[in-house]
Amino acid sequence: MLKCSFCGRRAAYNRRYAGVLLCDRCMVKSVERRFRRAMGEHRLVSPGERVALAVSGGKDSVACMHLLADYCARKNCELVAVTVDEGIKGYREESLPIARENAEQLGIEHFVVSFKQTFGATLDKIVKLAKRKKTEFNPCTYCGVMRRSLLNQAARELGADKLATAHNLDDEVQAIMLNYVRADFSRLYRLGPSYPPREGFVPRIKPLREIPEKEVALYALLRGIKVHLGVCPYAGGIHTEIRDFLNRLETNHPNSKFMVLRMFDRMKPHLVEAVPEFEMRKCEACGEPTSSTVCKSCELLHGLGLKREQKTLISFKVK
Amino acid sequence: MIKLDEITVKVKIIGQRAAREVRVPQKTRVVDLLNQLGQNRETVVVRLNGKIVAEEERLADGNSVEILQVVTGG
Repeated sequence: MLKCSFCGRRAAYNRRYAGVLLCDRCMVKSVERRFRRAMGEHRLVSPGERVALAVSGGKDSVACMHLLADYCARKNCELVAVTVDEGIKGYREESLPIARENAEQLGIEHFVVSFKQTFGATLDKIVKLAKRKKTEFNPCTYCGVMRRSLLNQAARELGADKLATAHNLDDEVQAIMLNYVRADFSRLYRLGPSYPPREGFVPRIKPLREIPEKEVALYALLRGIKVHLGVCPYAGGIHTEIRDFLNRLETNHPNSKFMVLRMFDRMKPHLVEAVPEFEMRKCEACGEPTSSTVCKSCELLHGLGLKREQKTLISFKVK
Repeated sequence: MIKLDEITVKVKIIGQRAAREVRVPQKTRVVDLLNQLGQNRETVVVRLNGKIVAEEERLADGNSVEILQVVTGG
């Protein structure tokens, strides 16, 4: 039996990048400590603020909800949860009740906004239309762009000071690598623990950015938190290839993911001069913030013969 | 043919297939079994006889191994 490096109980996890074994209790404590450190070091939330958390019902967002609920209670902040129902058959209808159940358990207000209500089509329908029209975009592009827009709108309309997402270390490192591969300098520059305020955008924060995905999962499992562990049916393509590559790298060379992140964080201040300044405007079609005349969501919808139907999210399902 | 220096463990990959018996050499570690099954240790959590364990734990004859795929990128 392998023993915890700190207390001698049976080890539940070998944190190879740090050279320590952790039992269930020490693992849970360690994740909570890292979470609090990230919140404090980067000043992600100030006392009295209202925080909207994007919750899908998956392990990352539900674990983040439990961590933030505790943190917000101590810091006199208000936490609300927002779920985007993209309309993915066999996937989202399984995770949504889990998000709701956890929010109820923690006494957090939970709001649901849907693609169908706002964009007039579920993601399933959007993917079918995109195939029929032979557009160059994959499901993740539609989903990512439209979900981000909807979350920002929801957070803004809810009067949130911060919009928290449960991106973990793996997500962040994958995004760094993806933007390298795509040579997307401006998206690369936008990555970080928080994203500064711009007109029309609620500042985004990522409290789990320095916690590996496996450790977030272990935290949820060891605490007995109910989470959805399903895989999105649209997962695939370059995102999956980069994820698999990074996991192979981490297996053979522990600490690789953290090193990619640290290198990026060290480089980022030096990139500021290379990023073009742009003025924020309101999308001519829907009024959402954009650097162009029409926002990316409306551009994608237009290509499919759709438009943003609901300009304000007044029909929130309040739980 | 059954080798005397082998042990049998019951393996279940959650959400994938029914449990099956796998024969591995004595002193096999969980991580060796994962490699044999083509599973990356970075993407799974393993329960050994119902307890979440570090992948360097050694298996014993009759152990029950549950493999939970937790890194889904979603």
